[in-house]
Amino acid sequence: MNKELEHQFVTNLERHQNIAHKICRIYTNNQDAHNDLFQEITIQLWKAYPKFRSEAKFSTWMYRVALNTAITLYRKKKRSIPTQDFDTVDFKIKAEEYDDETEQQLKVMYAAIQELNDIEKALVFLYLEDKNYRDISETLGITEVNARVKMNRVKTKLKNILNP
Amino acid sequence: MDGLDLLKKDWKKRESSLPHLSYNQIYQMLWKRSSSIVKWIFVISIIEFLFWALITVFMADHEYWEEMERIHLKEFTVATYVINYGITFFFIFCFYKNYRKISSTDNAAQLMKNILRTRKTVKYYIGYILISTALVALIYTYFMMDYHISSTTVEDIEKYSFTPLQWLMFAVIMIGGLAVFLGLIWLFYRVIYGILLRRLNNNYKELKKLEV
Repeated sequence: MNKELEHQFVTNLERHQNIAHKICRIYTNNQDAHNDLFQEITIQLWKAYPKFRSEAKFSTWMYRVALNTAITLYRKKKRSIPTQDFDTVDFKIKAEEYDDETEQQLKVMYAAIQELNDIEKALVFLYLEDKNYRDISETLGITEVNARVKMNRVKTKLKNILNP
Repeated sequence: MDGLDLLKKDWKKRESSLPHLSYNQIYQMLWKRSSSIVKWIFVISIIEFLFWALITVFMADHEYWEEMERIHLKEFTVATYVINYGITFFFIFCFYKNYRKISSTDNAAQLMKNILRTRKTVKYYIGYILISTALVALIYTYFMMDYHISSTTVEDIEKYSFTPLQWLMFAVIMIGGLAVFLGLIWLFYRVIYGILLRRLNNNYKELKKLEV
């Protein structure tokens, strides 16, 4: 691969790296795992990049490859993962305009998302990213109806966790 | 406010707290080694193909061929080798074709399907190996017995030939031993598959659940 292509790719990825970081945030619960997954996403994006150029938007393409990496391609390294890390690392920013109750609720929500399975996490992620059901169904390769039904189930599941 | 909507609002706010890697940090990552499951599957599959293809070569030394000639099975053995290698190449061809189809730019379901299909090719190959080994082993046993009987001289036939009960016991031991041996290999494979593909299988099922 030539230098021009490398430069183009790294510039694009640097600009859109938030997408990958957000996926890492959903799928991992400590900094090491976050870095590992981010690296694997970068490698997979780079490997797939020659096929990208004919397509339209880097970010749209990136959502797909990055999610595929998190759900399917990435093999978690074996190491003990302390579950409380999520609280300490990921919830470190305190949203000042929230009252304590809302903040507590958010904390529980983020913890609840960690309990979801890989597919449910993908649904939540795409929902939080403002993707419509058509985008969701195309990214995951399921029908729109199925995407809606699954999303509703996740919502109910999260609601139940919040209000037991 | 719905829990997820609240989360969505917060999610956007948190973008500012995400890590930010520099151009150079990202550039360094391009050359790191991937630890993707597809790579693992590829390596393990190649090892399996090589193992089974080479084991027959190493087994067949000069003495082996002499023995085959003695019991009049040389032609049969050559024929099974030719057929076996033909079928192995067919499986490798299918494996390679399916492997090439795996693309991270496909949708999630398609990607999972292609990976599982690639792995299935190897699974069928192992199935073929086990069944053909069993068949060939039975045929060899039959011919060896046959040779044993025909080469025993008439005088000592009473002394050497088996009674029906002995025959039955011999057959049971042979088939039972073979079944245990092949069963163990099969079990070993189930364990490898279980470890390697459990997450992928579960995700694929979860994704395809409710799909008409």
